[in-house]
Amino acid sequence: MNDNDNPLGGPPLGDQATPHLDEMACLLYIERQLDRARAQEVSAHTQECNACRTLLRAMERESRLLTRAMLEEDEALPLRLAQFQERARRSMQWIWGVLFGLAATGVYALYTGYIEPWQDQLAKAGFGSTSLLNLLIFQGVFWKGWQSVITLLEVVAMLTVGGFGLAFFRRRLLRRGSALALVLTGFCALGALVVPPSASAQDVRKADAVEIRSGETVKGDLFLFCHRARIDGTVDGDVFLFTQDASVGGHVTGDVIAFAQSLRITGVVDGNIRSFANNVTVTGTVTRNVLAFNELVNVDPTGKIGGSLTTFTQSLNLDGQVGRNILTFVGQGTISGTVDGRIDAKGGNLRINGPAKVGGPIRFNGENPPEVASDAKLASPVQYTKWEHKPKYEEGGYYIWQVIWAAAFVLFGLVLFQLMPAFSAESVGNVEHYGASFGLGVLVFFGVPIAALIACATVVGLFVGISAFFVWYATLYYAQIIVGALVGQWLLGRTREAWPLIGRMVVGVILVRLCTTVPHIGGWVKFGVMLWGTGAISLALYRRFQPAISAGLPGAPIVPTPLPSNTTVGGVVPA
Amino acid sequence: MSAPGKTEPTEAVARARAGDADAWGELYREFAPAIFRFCRRALPTREDAEDATMEIFMKLRDKLIQYDETRSFSAWLYKVAANHCWDLLRRRKIRQDKETDDVADVPLEHPDPNQLDRMIEQSTSDEVRRALGKLGARARMALVMRYYSDMSYDEIADALGVRRAFVGVVLLRARHELRQALGETGALAAGGAS
Repeated sequence: MNDNDNPLGGPPLGDQATPHLDEMACLLYIERQLDRARAQEVSAHTQECNACRTLLRAMERESRLLTRAMLEEDEALPLRLAQFQERARRSMQWIWGVLFGLAATGVYALYTGYIEPWQDQLAKAGFGSTSLLNLLIFQGVFWKGWQSVITLLEVVAMLTVGGFGLAFFRRRLLRRGSALALVLTGFCALGALVVPPSASAQDVRKADAVEIRSGETVKGDLFLFCHRARIDGTVDGDVFLFTQDASVGGHVTGDVIAFAQSLRITGVVDGNIRSFANNVTVTGTVTRNVLAFNELVNVDPTGKIGGSLTTFTQSLNLDGQVGRNILTFVGQGTISGTVDGRIDAKGGNLRINGPAKVGGPIRFNGENPPEVASDAKLASPVQYTKWEHKPKYEEGGYYIWQVIWAAAFVLFGLVLFQLMPAFSAESVGNVEHYGASFGLGVLVFFGVPIAALIACATVVGLFVGISAFFVWYATLYYAQIIVGALVGQWLLGRTREAWPLIGRMVVGVILVRLCTTVPHIGGWVKFGVMLWGTGAISLALYRRFQPAISAGLPGAPIVPTPLPSNTTVGGVVPA
Repeated sequence: MSAPGKTEPTEAVARARAGDADAWGELYREFAPAIFRFCRRALPTREDAEDATMEIFMKLRDKLIQYDETRSFSAWLYKVAANHCWDLLRRRKIRQDKETDDVADVPLEHPDPNQLDRMIEQSTSDEVRRALGKLGARARMALVMRYYSDMSYDEIADALGVRRAFVGVVLLRARHELRQALGETGALAAGGAS
């Protein structure tokens, strides 16, 4: 190679006798990546060689030009990004409010679940404050009717308002997380202290056989965990029975809630009866309503129910009196007593005997026509409709309900995408990780209910278990929305904007719902969508909570193609 | 390395880590414009840059707990941003750019120092930014990481998944691509061997 040849194959650089610098050497010199000795060589050479000095200077200027071009603020921050920060802040505040509410509930539940029982035992008496745990679990809508929901809503609302109040003070007055935690703790402690003591108390009894003798009075709620329970005395509160055989012959001023093999009411219950038993027999008086999930329900001739009777039962025998209506899903129903209200029955057979007296209309949707004795005293003839077991797909109402459900899904999705835009977008993105989503979906779909069931085995776990179950159940619906959003993106193109994403979600959800209505395969489609979406949501949740990740390193390393053979790197071109 | 013209927001970071939403707002206001510009340089479209900026800050919120307070926050932030952008590009499979395919067998044209000097002198920042948009993904990422966020060769190697020794090669090829793109835009005649 001639001295004057360009070492990289270019034109001659000058008339120096020494080898010229290559471009890489110049770059590394400018970027201070050369070792000291090599850097000194480069420096010395450029002082003598005009061509290399010019190259070095040009590359330095190129670096400066690049930096200047990069750093120049040529575009203002887009409005969308400016608004994003406000939205994110608002979103976080909302989450804080909810979080505080839940946290306060959790603290209170822990207090009532662990600390209070110890206090009870120490005091050898019931405790005097309201138990939110009991309120939530035993006195919710499932057990006591809608009045309790109002109470529950009041509590939840109070906690939420408290949370928002905290968020407000936190934003205005407090800057530190520790101070915030202090205020939160203070709030919870204050709440626990200032709640006025209730007149109710709790009495928990565990034994093989428990008896409340005649003349004995129990003040407050009574929990019985036993093989046989017999109440001949008075309970001034609710009775919760977890037993094989139970007999209530005394007086209960509240409700009776029974999980029992056999339940017999021979005394007086001022409140309601909620029964989950094999058989229940009412010989005494129930002032309010009876709700029974049983195989057999008997209301004896002396039995009297002041309110309504609602049963899901194989066999119903009514010889006594019901003050209001009967709603029953029954295999075999026999009415021989008095019903002051109406009867709505659905099931196999209905028989109305001679002494029966019914004050309201009777509607029976059954497999066989009702048998009505001629001497039965009915306000109007029985309205009978044949129960036809035709496929639901052939019923027009099915499709109307599907439309209503689709609308409900869209509404639910709208709320969720507004409340959790980032999480929803992440979940939608995860749906495309097919393997991970399906795998995790199967795990969560079957695992969470089992875990919730196990959690319910403990007293505090019951709260956690039921909460987990409800979250899981809501996730199944959310899953369909997430998958719908992806389907919408497939059809209308991808977007990360909130409202366009919602629009795609609406289109996708409607399509997914349509697919789930297809006869025979719709159910499987729905099942698959649930697994898929649940997995994607779980994946998003997992990524949010995973403790430590590196800063998103790219995957497989890339080895660049070496420079062509006529280019030298990092060294002096041989003479 | 730190964000251009920025001081380290130590207090705001600490508060944000403690869950202070206001601190988040401060960090966002302070760094969002810079991160947006970073993404704007690194990614093909403005919409991509906006999306990426939001995603980076959402990711940041989750990852802040991993931030080592003894190090520069802005350096860490740019590392997260670079990884995110490169990950996006990699996922889109557009990294099969000139470095690995069509240019692999094309020798680098050695510039005439005088022509190169003139070209640099006459090029404007606007033209450079336009030319930047014509580069392959890896070349663009490498230049942005080096000349926008001042990342070290080690950090660039880490982000791009290449050995440190190849970072210089990647940067030099990127410069060649840039010069070619500048020449194509008509800013200047391309430098190179005659």
